[in-house]
Amino acid sequence: METVTNQLVSIEKPEIVAPPDWQPVIIGILCNWCSYAGSDLTGTSRLQYPPNIRIIRVPCSSRVDTWFLIKSLQTTADGVLVSGCHPGDCHYISGNYFARRRFLVTKKLLNFVGFHENRIQFSWVSAAEGPKFAKVVSKVTEDIKKLGPLHLYKKENFEK
Amino acid sequence: MDYTKQIQEIATRLFAEDKIDVFVGYRLTGFDDNQVPALIRESKDVPLLVFNQKSVFNLSNYLKNDHTRNKRVGLVVKGCDSRSLNLLLTESQVKREKLYVVGIACEGVVDDAGQKMQNCLECMVPAAVVYDELLGEANMERRFIINADIQDMAAKELVQRREYFEEVFENCIRCNACRHSCPLCYCAKCCIDQETATLYNGANTTSSAFHALMTWSLHLAGRCVDCRNCEKACPSHLPLHLFHKWNERVIYENFQEHLAGVHEGDRGAFYKYSMQDPDDFIM
Amino acid sequence: MARVGVFVCFCGANIADYVDVPQVVEEAKRIREVKFAIDYKYMCSDPGQQQIRDAIAQHRLTSIVVAACSPRMHEKTFRKALSDAGMNPYLLEVANIREHSSWVHQKDKKAATEKASDLVRMAVAKSIANEQLHEISVPVTKRALVIGGGIAGIQAALDIADARIPVVLVEKSPSIGGKMAQLDETFPTLDCAQCILTPKMVDVASHPYIELIPYSEVLELQGFVGNYKVKIKKKASYVNFKTCTGCGACWQKCPVKVDNEYNMGIDKRKAIYTPFPQAVPNKPVIDAEHCTMLTKGKCGICAKVCEKGSIDYQMQDEIIEREIGAVVVATGYDMWDPKPYEEYGVGRFKDIITSLEFERMVSANGPTNGLPLRPSDGKVPKNVVFIKCVGSRDEAKGISYCSKICCMYTTKHTILLHHKVHDSHAYVFYMDIRAAGKGYEEFVEKAQVDTGTTYLRGRVSKIYKKGDKLMVRGEDAQIGQVVEVEADLVVLATAVSAPKDNPDLARLLGISYDKYGYLSEAHPKLRPVETAKAGIFLAGCTQAPKDIPETVSQASACAAKVCGLFAGDTMKKDPMISTVNTEYCSGCQNCVKVCPYGAIVTDEVPFGHGSKELRTVAKINEGVCQGCGSCVAICRSTAINLAGFTDPQIINEIVSI
Repeated sequence: METVTNQLVSIEKPEIVAPPDWQPVIIGILCNWCSYAGSDLTGTSRLQYPPNIRIIRVPCSSRVDTWFLIKSLQTTADGVLVSGCHPGDCHYISGNYFARRRFLVTKKLLNFVGFHENRIQFSWVSAAEGPKFAKVVSKVTEDIKKLGPLHLYKKENFEK
Repeated sequence: MDYTKQIQEIATRLFAEDKIDVFVGYRLTGFDDNQVPALIRESKDVPLLVFNQKSVFNLSNYLKNDHTRNKRVGLVVKGCDSRSLNLLLTESQVKREKLYVVGIACEGVVDDAGQKMQNCLECMVPAAVVYDELLGEANMERRFIINADIQDMAAKELVQRREYFEEVFENCIRCNACRHSCPLCYCAKCCIDQETATLYNGANTTSSAFHALMTWSLHLAGRCVDCRNCEKACPSHLPLHLFHKWNERVIYENFQEHLAGVHEGDRGAFYKYSMQDPDDFIM
Repeated sequence: MARVGVFVCFCGANIADYVDVPQVVEEAKRIREVKFAIDYKYMCSDPGQQQIRDAIAQHRLTSIVVAACSPRMHEKTFRKALSDAGMNPYLLEVANIREHSSWVHQKDKKAATEKASDLVRMAVAKSIANEQLHEISVPVTKRALVIGGGIAGIQAALDIADARIPVVLVEKSPSIGGKMAQLDETFPTLDCAQCILTPKMVDVASHPYIELIPYSEVLELQGFVGNYKVKIKKKASYVNFKTCTGCGACWQKCPVKVDNEYNMGIDKRKAIYTPFPQAVPNKPVIDAEHCTMLTKGKCGICAKVCEKGSIDYQMQDEIIEREIGAVVVATGYDMWDPKPYEEYGVGRFKDIITSLEFERMVSANGPTNGLPLRPSDGKVPKNVVFIKCVGSRDEAKGISYCSKICCMYTTKHTILLHHKVHDSHAYVFYMDIRAAGKGYEEFVEKAQVDTGTTYLRGRVSKIYKKGDKLMVRGEDAQIGQVVEVEADLVVLATAVSAPKDNPDLARLLGISYDKYGYLSEAHPKLRPVETAKAGIFLAGCTQAPKDIPETVSQASACAAKVCGLFAGDTMKKDPMISTVNTEYCSGCQNCVKVCPYGAIVTDEVPFGHGSKELRTVAKINEGVCQGCGSCVAICRSTAINLAGFTDPQIINEIVSI
């Protein structure tokens, strides 16, 4: 059977022209045991990454309710990064497997209704992968900068 | 497809044998050939029951109200309705022993214009999967899903999709008719009404509709059976099936061809996992 | 109205050099709920903590935000400061402005300061939704279950019982002893395994605190740490152990002969048997599969010769239930089956045996009276080839890990061969010699000199038959040539593999296992004996291959953990766990499916106020819940919330940026 859902058309272009001093706001939701520890390691290793990410700590990626992502885009964020333990490494045995399913469907659905797929990104970062965390954040920040500010719906004068 | 006579016979028999307290079926509106759900409580009302290609509603939605709760219920279900019934059984909302299910091997229902409904054209499970008695041929051919409008929508550009759905969200009046008509929305208090969810939602804004509809469709992802009760109920005629169909398709393609409610005891796609689930979208 | 106190730390220069700390304090003061904000050089120091304690009293603060290093570092310190000041410690939030701001944005002070202010604002918003939480105390049943009666299980059981804690020891076979009972001598000291093991086995049988349940298996484990209920199936032995004296008349007269598992099938045992002479308990059992009385109803000799009348052909499996507080899993290992090595002629040539078969042959109580004999013709072999890493370190045919013990036991085998057959010569094909352990390297060196064994570095590519000899062809990598050795007997050092039943057992216990079937420890370095499920511990090879000293150490470590768990009458537990709002719960029970710990059960509550009708809702067992939040995120009606990470807390963080 032909797969439809993996062929969404997404062209990278800014939705509106960003003001010159504009900096994106990215919400990073990290699991306590792997990715948060990994981001701490990025700090202790003094690896530099763009300062746009605001980190929220949760116990496990499976704690990330899908509407946290929707709410983030609806209210404050230009992009969201969710990061958890690698498959098989979950501190809570199977949390990230459940999370992975929800993330895929959420990402595809938001892409379907017109949000660029890079607005919501996911990564597996272990507690040892400080450099990877810096790389992931740099990539996400760059992606969002390319897309420009997310004005949810332009007819609506929504104050950020 | 006309099972009026058989259903009336079954209902009469069930009342005569004192097996049910209420029979949930369809009756005519009285002023055109459209039908509305009927809750029949006495055998004298049984002649009101009809069933034909205009019997569009998913009657399993009527299992969650006070008229049927904890009563012995006779129920007519088509293929899609039986899947939502299956989920209600799995999710412990209905007790099987209290139900007498008349399954229909459905050949598809029609809309107001007499055209076959699109979900029936794309139906994967036409015959009822849960029943005590099945009317029609059990081994119906499972049709290949086409999802034509999903394909059309997916082929559009991001900006076009964004604009299209912006209009959808803008036209939503947050009446929650979709929620009330959905057999699988049975929560005591809906999460999108709760204080934390309504934070920053405003009263009736496009973004609040975005938030509500996205959350709603994600709560139905992997559970929605595409009966389109929500769309029939929507006063703004929003194409709500697009979200559900899209999610169904994503889940079908990525999670081992999961289809909601086809197998007994099978829960929604989010309540299980497989090691083979796609991982390539994660950095 | 919330009254939040904000304390921003300089961390010496660590934060202050890259973040404008006074600016962060100023920003914090502009938040409506913040009633007090201050900076200090080292917040974690005693004077720093004193500032927090003083401010709590002075400004009637309702929650505290400390902007400093990672909460993984000093959250506990600051929580303690709060409770010292008489405030609930869970009203603290830590804004991580060091690891997440000053250290990673060292080139842009303005952005780093802005980010730090945002992080503080998020923490303030979250802390407003913080609730007072209290440590949970759970009563404990002071009895341990040990699964498996090998050396690991024996050691763990004895150590726990010696601390006067009752132990239930479950063993699947008729006798305890495990693999170690099959060994002849043990490296590196060559003491006889039986001599050091059997006293321990007898201790187990006679220990007042140990209840030994042989010939049984665990069926079900319910409950949570400190409060488990276990169901044990005691298989029908058809012999009444209470009256049986172990005289042996029954098995001497039994006419049915069956392959003897204890001797690796080299000789025969009877259908009624004790696995080996020193078995504990030394009572025979009837092998229901082979006994003709049980299969065909003909025979009954054992019942006739038994003077005590202990034979009972009508005996049924029995279910035993015990309440326990902790579990030690010590199910040992299986020998890997070398069948995939077709080029060696495994299965075709009789004179290729596994190391455990060799071990049984050279064993003093073995089937050949301690002499290695060729299975084909019963002659004593002169040239013996040992092949190491059969299955181990071979991803294509076997398993990719090192089995750890093969180098050492093969060395031991060369010595034993030398002892038993003086004019023999041993050849060892090896990849590496891994002899890391106390006295191990010396043992290997001495063995090489004493026995004159030829060590050939390289893998064997083919074994073929030539007359009644086996020709072993392999490469000697050190001289870079193909060598052929004529062998009377080939011994394969087969890999250690996880017990086949481990995945089933893991599912039953609710713990995880790796791709090989070994049970997973909670942390590979820092929590090597615990599992992710509280109160379940691992000892011995069931976790990974290991030798006897390591197994015994791990078993004793398990015992220490169990004793620690049982030290008080109750256990303290982190209060950050899920709770159910039954008003919202619709009873769909999807959370029950998602919970990795089986912590969610169902409960019944009245349908409405004063209603007699009941409805089903979820109920969290607070002793089991580990606080992952899986159930919270899948609960559509948001009936479940996770203390410390509630929806209001996280949404507050999201919207406050």
